[in-house]
Parts: sequence; structure tokens; C-alpha cells
Amino acid sequence: MSKKTDGAIELVELRKEFGEVAAVDGIDLGIRAGEFFSLLGPSGCGKTTTLRLIAGFERPTAGKILLDGVDMAAVAPHRRKVNTVFQSYALFPHLDVFGNVAFGLRRQHVKREEVRRRVEAVLEAVQLGGYEKRKPAQLSGGQQQRVALARALVLEPSVLLLDEPLGALDAKLRKALQLELKGIQERFGITFVYVTHDQEEALTMSDRIAVMSGGRVEQVAAPAEMYEEPQTVFVADFLGVSNLMHVTAEGADAGACRARLGDFVLRAGNGDAAVSGSTRIVIRPERVRIEPYESMGDNRVPGMIERVVYLGSAEQLVVRLATGDVVQALFVNDGTPREFVQGTPVQVHLPVDALRVLPPPAAAVPEPEAKPLEPASDAAVQLGAG
Amino acid sequence: MKRVRDWFANPWGQPRALAVITWTYMAWSIVPVVIAVLFSFNDGRSRSVWQGFSLRWYWGDPSLSVFHDPSMRGALEQSLKLAGFDMLIAVPLGVGLALGLTRWKGYGARPVNFLMLFPLVTPELVMAVSLLLVFVLLYKIPLGTEAQVLGQVTFSISYVVIIVRSRLLSIGPSYEEAARDLGASPVGALRLVLLPLLSPAIFASFIVVFALSIDDFVVTDYLSSNESTQTVPIKIYSGVRGTTTPALNALATVMVVATLAAVALAFLVYRWALRSQPGQQGALKEIAALEA
Repeated sequence: MSKKTDGAIELVELRKEFGEVAAVDGIDLGIRAGEFFSLLGPSGCGKTTTLRLIAGFERPTAGKILLDGVDMAAVAPHRRKVNTVFQSYALFPHLDVFGNVAFGLRRQHVKREEVRRRVEAVLEAVQLGGYEKRKPAQLSGGQQQRVALARALVLEPSVLLLDEPLGALDAKLRKALQLELKGIQERFGITFVYVTHDQEEALTMSDRIAVMSGGRVEQVAAPAEMYEEPQTVFVADFLGVSNLMHVTAEGADAGACRARLGDFVLRAGNGDAAVSGSTRIVIRPERVRIEPYESMGDNRVPGMIERVVYLGSAEQLVVRLATGDVVQALFVNDGTPREFVQGTPVQVHLPVDALRVLPPPAAAVPEPEAKPLEPASDAAVQLGAG
Repeated sequence: MKRVRDWFANPWGQPRALAVITWTYMAWSIVPVVIAVLFSFNDGRSRSVWQGFSLRWYWGDPSLSVFHDPSMRGALEQSLKLAGFDMLIAVPLGVGLALGLTRWKGYGARPVNFLMLFPLVTPELVMAVSLLLVFVLLYKIPLGTEAQVLGQVTFSISYVVIIVRSRLLSIGPSYEEAARDLGASPVGALRLVLLPLLSPAIFASFIVVFALSIDDFVVTDYLSSNESTQTVPIKIYSGVRGTTTPALNALATVMVVATLAAVALAFLVYRWALRSQPGQQGALKEIAALEA
């Protein structure tokens, strides 16, 4: 099967209300052709509704869904060149594996021999050759998942929508299938829109991720950027473990932002240095340095080790700072002998280049850089105000 | 003494006390039926004194047997005819209604769902009287077979809707969505996915409607016109007061056998149809365990 070049999706001011509740609250997203794009967020953030809008199971209250430039918002689901892998798989229990995979081809009136050839090819691709006569109930969870995938892939869609397809599998199988899914996506060159609440899954597989919350897109970025440079408190908190601290920002100081944490003044080298007023700073546990109590220098706050947790591959330290804030630090188990003891006073070094200042909460929503498309920001402000 | 008590109420053993209660009840409820069936094979005219085995009341007797007595034969035919019409009309209508009600999410859905249960909770006599009134005075439907069919359909639909709707709710919307997603039109999704998944429920509906129709007395009697539209229950009821022969028992036996056969058939087909559907395996295993 040849690589595809189409399959670009653009969502413009897309909105879906259920009664009084806006499940999708005016989002703008550009998904490139051939991209592995994840919608990540906690349950109820609107990610599944967004997927169902693209599939056509829900009708948008307002906005556009452009597939390769053509608005599909008013097109019935069976006429859209997108296919879905459902969380529950939804394999037809009365049909065998062959019947399930051939279902879509038969709706297109493809010739018998070609149906057979294409079904066998796609089953081979998902490593299920020889399972044609089995009924879905006779397959394991992982096999059912592959059939669901094959059933959608056989139609060679421009876009494949996946709604937490690995959610029902155990952790080990999930890991294996993550890599397999990514491999299939690259081989077929199909745009994948992947809905998940599992941040690790999103980071592992995606080219880009959109983090959603409350029916809105918080940030769109590549995995590394999303982890390293969260733009909002929500993203920082949701993705990985973050140490978030309330500070009073005092504007730029030699390229970094001066942030007052209790009696201490820290400099945050990441984020908008010009921020001032009450806001939060964030640092990842693996970037926190623990130094002897006597050590001196900038961006150091004294504290006391409150808890030491041995994790096997790493060691986790919980330190209570003199300001009352609690900071987690993580040390990879690389053989270096460390003797952290509970109750030891230490200096916590929060390096300038690892410390990030976040925009104040009120300003976080209309922040233009959190939105991928230019014309959307004005509308988003208006919707946010209304 | 202790051994007797242990047999009956040993907390670690079989729940024999419950078994005794169960079997007592089974015997109590089945004995009258067995006796009635037994006397349908009586060689004499008595319905209480055994005089030897024969099949005369089924077809042996040239004028009084079920097969030869025109009124009994007519009643049997009328019963089967009504059941046939009732099944053919009530089941498709009920399936359609169930599909509509499951999808209908707006205002009005709740009251209609409630009204669907109305025929089940209304006393049958009240329903029969009101049907008679509206048929005669309002709709001008002649009493007899048409009115009887309409009356039976009226209350049968509720049962069909309840059976099919509960199956629809357990199936959920995802199979239909998957079919639509794979290119099936709304009608195609219904035909290719939903109806096959509903087939056990539809089949069960046929059987239930058959049993309801065959058993119904009140509505059918009120809407009957004369002797020619009498059904088996009406015939048995009116026969009880006149001079009776074991032919009446034979007629009742035919009914019992027909109903039992229908239920047995339903069970077998249901089991066959569900053998590969997920979520039903548990129930199937339970049934299998009961049989073993």
C-alpha cells in the first residue's frame, strides 16, 4: 500500500454544546497530513467529543471541520474519508474476522477477489494472518484490537481516528502495541488522530500533542517541547510531575524573570521574563539539585529532607523548603553513592535554566501563542469573556 | 435425630431445606395440570374417574372429539389465526417503536416510555371494556376477528417494545456507529448490524406474543362477535358450565403442548443465536450449568 499525501485536518472555531454545557468550547487546530497527532487530557476535557465531531457522529453547534480544505461539518459519517478505531473496538459479534474486516470494502462494492486480497494483506500487516474464520469472542483483547485496526486500515482512509484504543489492555501489551501502532502509522503514512488520557502514551507516539482542558486547547506542541516548555499551569501540572510554586514576579532582570518566593528571590530563565504580579513557577523534579547546607549561590533555598523514596531505577526526595513549599527531586540510579537521610538540612538549588515562569492565570487563556492559528485568538477572547 | 437435622439443615452441605420447599411448590403447581392432561386420555366420559387409556377425545370419537367437534376445531383454528396475525403485526411495529424510542432523546420521550408500560399495568378487564367502547362507538370496527386482532396487538406491542428495547440498550450505540463509520448508510447499518444483533430479542418477542395471544381471554372474549370467533380459552370457559366431556381436557392439553413447544423452541433458538455474542457468554454458561 502506497504512502498517502492527503489527510490534513483543520478545525476552525469548532464548538459542540450538549444542552447548557459546551463539551468543545471553540477550538482551533491544524493537523498536518501524515502526522501522528494526539489529543491529550483528563476525562471530560472534550477530547472524545472532538474526535466524534471529526468522525461525524456528532454534529457541531458551530465551526468548521476541514479535511484537505473541504468542510465536512454537514457530511454524514458514512460519506467521510475517515475511519475510527473505537475504545470498545465495536467488532461485529455476528461476523467472523474476515467479515468484520471486509465490511467496509463490501459497502463500497469492491469485487470479491479484491476484497479477499486486501483483507488478507491487511490481516498480514497486523500479524493476524490465518485468523479469518475466528469470531471476535474467540480472540484475546490484543487480537481484537488488531482486528479493529485492520478493519479501519483496509479502507485506506485519509485519516484514522483512534479513541483510547489501548485503554482496555494490560500495561505490557499496551507498551508493545504502542510501538506497533507507531510503526503502522509510519508505514501507511496515514494521519492518526489519537485520543488518550495517558500522557506517557501521547509522549511516546505522537509527532505533536494538543493538551485539552474544559473543552479548550491549552497548548499544541511536539512532545519534548510540551514537556520542557509548558505554557500554562494546567499543562505543567498534567504532563509529568511538576513542582509548582506560587511567587510574585517582578519583571525581567538580565534576561530572566525575577520571582519572589517568600523571603527568597529566584531568577527563572524560561518563560516570559516580563511577567509581573502573582503567578507560579515550575521546575521538573529531575532538574532540582540538592546541595550541602553550607553551599552558597543564587537560586538556592534552604530546606529539610522530609522523605526519601527508593524507586529502583531512581530515588525520589521530598524536601520542605524554608518557605513552606514542598519540592520533589529525582535522582537516576546511576551508581553514584548518595546518602540522603530524612531530616537532613540541605540547600535546594533551582537552576536558572531549569526554572520556568508561567503566565498569570487570568492571562493564560487568551495567550495568543497557545493557539496554533492566527485568526482564532480574537474569537477565543470573545468566547472566553462570554 | 442429629443425623436427620444434619441432612436437612447442615450449613456446610446442600441447602436441602430450600430444595424441599422448591419441590413442594413445583408439585403443588404442576399436579392440577398433570391431572387435567391425564383425563384427556380417559376412555370414558368422566373427567374425574379413570376408565382406561384412549385417544378418543383427541380424534377417535366421530362427533365429540377435538378433531371432529366443529366448535372445538373452530376454536383451535381461531386461536392460531389470532396468534398468527398478532405476531405478524405486533412484532414489526414493536421493533420499530423500540428503535424509535431508544433514539428519541428530546421532550416527550419520557412520557411515551411511561405510556408504553400502561397496557401492562392496566387491569385487563378495564382495557377490554374501553377497547370495546372505542371500537364500537368511535372507530366503528365490526366485532370479530378484526377487532380481536387489533385488541391483542394493542397490548402485545408493549411486551415487544420492552424486550427489544432492553436488548437495544445492552447493545449500545457503538456497533451502529462502527457500521456507519465503515460506510454503511443508516438503513444499511440497521439491516447489516442492528437487526442481526437484535434477532434473538425479535425471536423472543414472537414467542411471547404467541403465548400472550393464545392465553388471552378477557380482551378476546369482549371483542368476539359470536360462536365462530370463539377461541380455545373462551370455549373452555363456556364449556365448564355445560355438559362436559374429556374433549375439553384434550383441547386444553393441545394448548399447553403448543405453548410449551413454543417456549422450548424459543430457548433453543435463543441459545443458538447468542453462541458467539460477547456479554451473553456468562448467562449461557449459567444455563449450561443448570442443564448439567
